[in-house]
Amino acid sequence: MSEFKLHHLVVELIDLLGSSSAPEKHVEKLQKEGSATNVVTLNSVATQSCVRQLAKNSPNAELFIKKYEELKSKKVDMLGPFMQLLEFISVDRELKSYLNKTSSLAPVTTSSTTITNEDLPKIFKNVIKAAHEGEKKLNKQLCPVNTERDITHMKHTWSSERPRLSWNFQTESPALQLQKVVPSISQESVLLWDILQCLKGIDGSYIVSETPSHPYGPVTFKISPDVGVSFKQLTEQILPLASHYSMTIRFVEEKMLPDDGQVNHALRGALSSLLRDYLLFVVQLEIEHLRGKLNLQKLWFYIQPTLTTMSILNQITSTIFKANAKGGKVLSLLHEQINNMSGEAKCKELCLFLIKAASVPYMQTLEKWVYKGVIYDPYQEFFVEDNELIQKEELPMDYSADYWEKRYSMRPERIPVFLSEHDQTILRTGKYFNVIRQCGKTVQWGKQEPLVYQHRDQKFISAIDRAYSEAARTLLEVLIQENDLMGRLRSVKNYFLLAQGDFVVQFMNLCEPELSKNMYDIVTHRLSSLLEVALRMSTADSDPYKDDLKPELLPYGLQYQMFRILTIQTNEEKEYCAQADKTVSGMEAFVFNYDVKWPVSLVINRKAIACYQMLFRHLFYCKHVERLLCRVWISNKIAKTFTHEAAMTYRQAFSLRQRMLDCIQHLEYYMMVEVIEPNWLMFLNKMSKVSNVDEVLRVHQDLQDSYLKECMLMDHELLECITGVCSVCIEFCKFMQRMSRYFIDAELRSMIGSCQDDIFEPEAECSGNSSADGVNFIDRIMTLDKQFTEVLIRLLNRICDLGCDNSNEKLLNVVCRLDFNLYYTQILMQRDSKKRSQETSG
Amino acid sequence: MPCEMITLQLGQCGNQIGFEFWKRLCAEHGISPEGILEDYATEGTDRKDVFFYQSDDEHYIPRAVLLDLEPRVIHTIMNSPYSKLYNPENIYLSKHGGGAGNNWASGYHQGEKLQEEIFDILDREADGSDSLEGFVLCHSIAGGTGSGMGSFMLESLADRFPKKLIETYSVFPNQDEISDVVVQPYNSLLTLKRLTQCADCVVVLDNTALNRIATDRLHIQNPSFTQINKLVSTIMSVSTTTLRYPSYMNNDLVGLIAPLIPTPRLHFLMTGYTPLTTDQEGASVRKTSVLDVMRRLLQPKNMMVSTAVDRNAAHCYISILNIIQGEVDPTQVHKSLQRIRERKLAQFIPWGPASIQVALSRKSPYIQSTHRVSGLMLANHTNISSLFDRALQQYDKLRKREAFLEQFRKEKMFEDNLDELDNSREVVDCLVKEYQAATRSDYLTWSPNKTD
Repeated sequence: MSEFKLHHLVVELIDLLGSSSAPEKHVEKLQKEGSATNVVTLNSVATQSCVRQLAKNSPNAELFIKKYEELKSKKVDMLGPFMQLLEFISVDRELKSYLNKTSSLAPVTTSSTTITNEDLPKIFKNVIKAAHEGEKKLNKQLCPVNTERDITHMKHTWSSERPRLSWNFQTESPALQLQKVVPSISQESVLLWDILQCLKGIDGSYIVSETPSHPYGPVTFKISPDVGVSFKQLTEQILPLASHYSMTIRFVEEKMLPDDGQVNHALRGALSSLLRDYLLFVVQLEIEHLRGKLNLQKLWFYIQPTLTTMSILNQITSTIFKANAKGGKVLSLLHEQINNMSGEAKCKELCLFLIKAASVPYMQTLEKWVYKGVIYDPYQEFFVEDNELIQKEELPMDYSADYWEKRYSMRPERIPVFLSEHDQTILRTGKYFNVIRQCGKTVQWGKQEPLVYQHRDQKFISAIDRAYSEAARTLLEVLIQENDLMGRLRSVKNYFLLAQGDFVVQFMNLCEPELSKNMYDIVTHRLSSLLEVALRMSTADSDPYKDDLKPELLPYGLQYQMFRILTIQTNEEKEYCAQADKTVSGMEAFVFNYDVKWPVSLVINRKAIACYQMLFRHLFYCKHVERLLCRVWISNKIAKTFTHEAAMTYRQAFSLRQRMLDCIQHLEYYMMVEVIEPNWLMFLNKMSKVSNVDEVLRVHQDLQDSYLKECMLMDHELLECITGVCSVCIEFCKFMQRMSRYFIDAELRSMIGSCQDDIFEPEAECSGNSSADGVNFIDRIMTLDKQFTEVLIRLLNRICDLGCDNSNEKLLNVVCRLDFNLYYTQILMQRDSKKRSQETSG
Repeated sequence: MPCEMITLQLGQCGNQIGFEFWKRLCAEHGISPEGILEDYATEGTDRKDVFFYQSDDEHYIPRAVLLDLEPRVIHTIMNSPYSKLYNPENIYLSKHGGGAGNNWASGYHQGEKLQEEIFDILDREADGSDSLEGFVLCHSIAGGTGSGMGSFMLESLADRFPKKLIETYSVFPNQDEISDVVVQPYNSLLTLKRLTQCADCVVVLDNTALNRIATDRLHIQNPSFTQINKLVSTIMSVSTTTLRYPSYMNNDLVGLIAPLIPTPRLHFLMTGYTPLTTDQEGASVRKTSVLDVMRRLLQPKNMMVSTAVDRNAAHCYISILNIIQGEVDPTQVHKSLQRIRERKLAQFIPWGPASIQVALSRKSPYIQSTHRVSGLMLANHTNISSLFDRALQQYDKLRKREAFLEQFRKEKMFEDNLDELDNSREVVDCLVKEYQAATRSDYLTWSPNKTD
């Protein structure tokens, strides 16, 4: 599968880049270098060295480092890989110059006020822009970085409309003039009032707040120069508490928009309860001061514990501000914060309190998802995203393979760190429950443990695991027991892979006249009634799913289909396209279709059916050729009564027919007995061990992949050879059928006993007097013989090549059996020696 | 139902082997002697309708036509538990019941006379099937009814149903014992001509070899007809097993025999079966593997045709089909094939690709077998010509003395001259020559007149 996925990604990339080069070249290259690229794992160490390297190369290293640090502090996702990309680009001179050239041509889309642009050296400017855009398209997560400023400006809440309601410093108000001097003895009391004001977010008379230089920088304070030095120093020590408070209250007041998400709101709630305590503490200080028992020293002493608390709050809030985090990311940040705080028990407790409070809504969402398979996530915080587009009523109609993959997607940037190891489990659990619900079943729960965040033993993880195993088990039960998945698959195998031999024979007996028409002349409903007859008359009658089988005609041949799938832009394909328009016989166009009901359609989805259809066409066509050859055999059996002379004439043709039949039957035997059945048995074996639906899907996908690969569909040259063999066989059969009326002549002649006309020595034919009555029988057989041998040897060679390369020695079995008595080896040897003798003579 | 087969049983021998064959088929499909499906067999995925059809009351009736000119064997059948199995309309006994007197010409002539009535039966059966694939004929070539009437039936069938396959199971006389039928060489030769020209596929069952196998391999001192016929019925049933238990391949008769018969005249097949067991002897259970089975099948002593070793011609296989039953892994099959190829255990024709084709088949679930793997070989071997050669020699001996020809002269065909005998000799002689030519690489351009 990974091959397909890779292929798909490459195609998409090429599409985005507007290139027209063939994807498979790149895929091949990528696969070859696969091991090499894996080495460059995206770890932080590598990133560090990248940054250093980039800084060294950059003419303006300091600025670059600064920018990098800034981005890092914003916790921008994918920063590491991005840096590595930059480094790759900077190292690759060719690419650099190329990008330089093209960047001037490329229209600058998007507002892209990318911060990096202005600061980074010129060379990198365009590179980054291009890279940035590519990345954006692949992963929209970078967008918030660019647009975050707009969002902050757009808010229209009371805090902006009624700035004076705020418990924070009024940043918009013009800087207050500092008060006049008070004698230094009385200064302390006034200063204390001032400080206490500041601690509540109100400017004092000697101490005035300043608008921070950065949007999320700490509030700084200006202290009147009149204040005595000793007081000033103490005040400066105390004032950080005020700026911590400011940051925290700012968070509480600003993070209240719906967009900020429930996690931020919950965190806000927790913070504001802490702030209440804080304000109480300030009030107590004020009372103390009123009693006249407070001085700066005492104040400094009293605030010590509060200072640490508030600094943590400050740290947390400012990080969240800077990262503009919400949802899972907030939780991640909090969790990291706790991890960084080992040893400080009190601080840790505080953080734990915060994260517990903040995680409540997230955990509730998680609970709903994990226990019910429902997403309630109005603010896009949860890391599983529901891309529901389809109405439930439409589900069984066209349930594409995409459903399972695309209905729910994971947003890695939203995963809280403490869940990141379990993301797949969580995703699947919900998916399974969702499917179970859609099957109209309710899940019986013994006990739904509420999920609560815990830092240490993380009990909720085991609860999730339990839910997961419950979900996996139930869904598997629903699929396999209630919906008889295996029975379905067996039935699909019986029809699509021709395992139900007698049905196939019966069907072909009935439908061959119809299918031999041109595809557009075929009446589909006649086909379906014939199909029904065939089903009821064979042992397929005992299959409960037989009515789901439908006939279908596809307007293109198998070879063309495979070409398209492999997206081979070869000349042959173009030729083939031209041909394909007109000559698709019913036999080539025919496929079965199979109605699958939800939830089995999860496994036997459109993609799987398409895959089975390809196999079916391949096998069906081979079977058809075999039957044609057998029919020729039957019509030739009259030759028993011919005279020896006549019989000799025909013997050449008979031996050719024999070789063709031999070849086709060996191919069929290989595909059916050596590929399909063993793989199926292996599949059954694997299926008996699966524990969840994803495994079922994977195992089934593996099965199909090995079918396709080993049935020689994946190699276009091989497929071409087989198609070639088939078409020569068909040509031969047509010719022989045309000739069959002459058999009767031959028979008559054999009775009379004179058949002089018929006996030509093949050598005499070659001399070239065959123009008398068109193409002579022997001549025609000789050309067909030559064609067949040619294409068959090509096939054998190709199989040998592949067998050596790809370690699929199974394929070599075909060669071994086809050439069991070394007949073809001898032909090749004779040719070689002839060639050699020609060379030596010439 | 596609691919139905109509079975014709002719004469004493034909009816006897046919009787055993139907017994075996009934057992394999879980059909009781009365033709009712046994309770345990109701949910089968086997195809009973290749050889049976259902009457209105759910009875399974064999598509069999029983013909004889004397009543003895048919009476035995009618007194057996299987008497209700057959459609009584399909049993045809000559009215005067005198038999053919072991005379080919008499059998042939009587067949000619009775053809209207016989073809009434055959046409009815043929019309009753949806897509008839062909006829199976059971007979011996030595007696009177089976050979004479059989010959006539072969000719008429080939004439009336040119697109249908005619497969025969032909029993060749025992060479080791002196036959009580003195005209046996004449009978054989005359039948051989029809088998060459009218049948599409002849499975040769050589009584010599069958007796030898019964004594040597099954350790029966004086094998009875029933025991021999059990062997035959095994071969008949296994060779049709891929039709009755459908799987991916070989689901119709033509697909089975077409690859075996490259040129139409060389259609005489040898058979071999292993492992062979009798009912009494359950003790000697061998360990069977695919390689073991396939190797044994290539040994002449397991062949149901006794062929003289001819040192002059390098006899070889034209084609081989092994029907392997049991738990078989395809990789084992391939490994065995490779081993056979490496050790050169089988010689093949030089003028075309030839190999051991393998058909893997299911077994009947209702018959317990002690062996894991069993196999039947259908082989087209040039050495079968030695059998015909022997028949020719015996004929020549008799003909030189002009012995026992009066009985023949009585019949219409030989009233004026004995051209038919000479003509038959010519045909069989050519057949022998063609088989010998098939061992050489110039076979494709061979002609008897040219080489002579």
